[in-house]
Amino acid sequence: MATKEELLKELSDCVLDLRDDEVEEVAQSYIDAGFEAYDGIFYGLVDGMNKAAKLYEEEEYFIPELMICSDAMYAGLDVLRPHIDSSQMKQKCKVAIGVVEGDTHDIGKNLVKIMLEASGYEMIDLGRDVPIQEFVDAVVNDGARAVALSTLMSTSMPNMAKVVQKLEEAGVRDQVKVIVGGGPLSSGYARKIGADGYSDSAVEAVELLDGLMGW
Amino acid sequence: MSRDELTPVQRAAAIAKGEGADRMPCNPNIANGVARVYGCKISEFNTDPIAIAKAQMATYERFGNDSLRVFTDLFTWPEAMGAKVVCPDDDTVDLLEPAITDVSQIGKLRPADPLKDGRLPVHVEAMKYLKEYSDGIVGCSAGVVGPFTLAFFLIGIDKMLKMCRKDPESVHKLCRIALETCKNYAAVAMEIGLTPTISEPMSSCTVVSPKVFRELSLPYLKELVDFIHEGGYNPVIHICGQTNKIWKDCADLGIAGWSIDNVASIEECKKTVGDQCKIMGNVDPGPIMFGGTPLDVRIGTLQSLKAGWDSPKGFMVMSGCSLPVDSPFENIDAMMDTVREVGYPVSIDRIDAMLEEALYQKQKEEE
Repeated sequence: MATKEELLKELSDCVLDLRDDEVEEVAQSYIDAGFEAYDGIFYGLVDGMNKAAKLYEEEEYFIPELMICSDAMYAGLDVLRPHIDSSQMKQKCKVAIGVVEGDTHDIGKNLVKIMLEASGYEMIDLGRDVPIQEFVDAVVNDGARAVALSTLMSTSMPNMAKVVQKLEEAGVRDQVKVIVGGGPLSSGYARKIGADGYSDSAVEAVELLDGLMGW
Repeated sequence: MSRDELTPVQRAAAIAKGEGADRMPCNPNIANGVARVYGCKISEFNTDPIAIAKAQMATYERFGNDSLRVFTDLFTWPEAMGAKVVCPDDDTVDLLEPAITDVSQIGKLRPADPLKDGRLPVHVEAMKYLKEYSDGIVGCSAGVVGPFTLAFFLIGIDKMLKMCRKDPESVHKLCRIALETCKNYAAVAMEIGLTPTISEPMSSCTVVSPKVFRELSLPYLKELVDFIHEGGYNPVIHICGQTNKIWKDCADLGIAGWSIDNVASIEECKKTVGDQCKIMGNVDPGPIMFGGTPLDVRIGTLQSLKAGWDSPKGFMVMSGCSLPVDSPFENIDAMMDTVREVGYPVSIDRIDAMLEEALYQKQKEEE
């Protein structure tokens, strides 16, 4: 019988090696063997996704590969998540995420959403080309405690500043953390518009938000 | 507009013959921003061929740019094959729904007829008007999407991305039918007398691997380029994002020019394929052309010129990609005026001196 370490590696490899049709079976044998679902997610699936993200940065993987890795990760999550011991998995806060108005490029946003979701955040996905007010509504009406803004287009960057401004006008700026990311951005730009943080990769986004929220 | 001594047609001819000219050619790549120059709404381009042609001419008269193009968005071809688009009142058309949702429907797709389907007839008419207005003054091209990129819009971007790994056979089928649409459109353009230029953004190394490009995109791109060659024309190819690993593949097709984005290096591109085709680029359309000051544009333009001016098969200063619609006119002027000031023949010492001066000014501004 496979050891826990072997199965964790197998879960990770399923994600990394684009085996989205095999991952469910591996996840099921992992659960059947009585191992902890929480570890399976973080040291198996998320580990594989982190490695895939690294290969993307190194130009070994491209967008098609990342899309299939994330399919594999979701397929594995579907099996493991119901078995999570709720006392062990902190349900983190709600995060509203979206590509700001004027831009429809959402691959990066989707990757960040996947990573945050996998790490325990409850995601409110507002989609792409999202009007400024919808981010504010997600905070005021839906209880989001963090807002993640994405854009690939420098022409849409000013709309990120407007979201921060609107959150202030609505009187809720001090209740939320705002994080930003996307091709043309920088931590300098994040500071300039009064956001709480910037991350240049989906993996770092988790660390960034965990740090800001104190998890 | 009489700031230039020569018309773009005269300039291109003079440079080709090795004679004196007034300046290097320059194309700010104004895209749908031409509506701002002409004074119409972008949505008028969806129905009014004269507006498309006159807006192009108005832009030439205002800025003196060296090439014009009939092209409004990447979605006229998928729309003509059954995809649904969103047409904003005063912004660029966007894709709403692909033509099909499953590979089982590929057999239902038919190549588009440029004279009948979607907005293509509007563009075909626009080509005729623009040819008439610009004849003998400034060169015009007809933008056409590449087959691989068109395939993405036929079945949906996310689906096609996964198919590149999981179902390459179906990608081949989609590209095959997409190619027929591209050829039909290119044939009409050539008949009217416009050079087809190919935009193939999904082939970018920022999206798919060079391996996927070579297997799934290049064969169809080659057929399209060969078809255009047979018609007596030679296209320019533009691919957004990073493209360094596929420059050679495209240059080997025998194309007239490679238009590269700002994340790619002119210097490197010149070394790799400068002896095969003209290099065009690559002032950053976002932070510089849209968001920067005229001084930023001057610096960006001089940096592009410094890197590319001596490319063996020629160089054209261009924006790295289509300009955002509301890019300031003074920035477009700054690009053209910088190229005018550099003059012709280009002296690298002069570029260096101008660049040093501009960088010094920039530094002073920041202090």
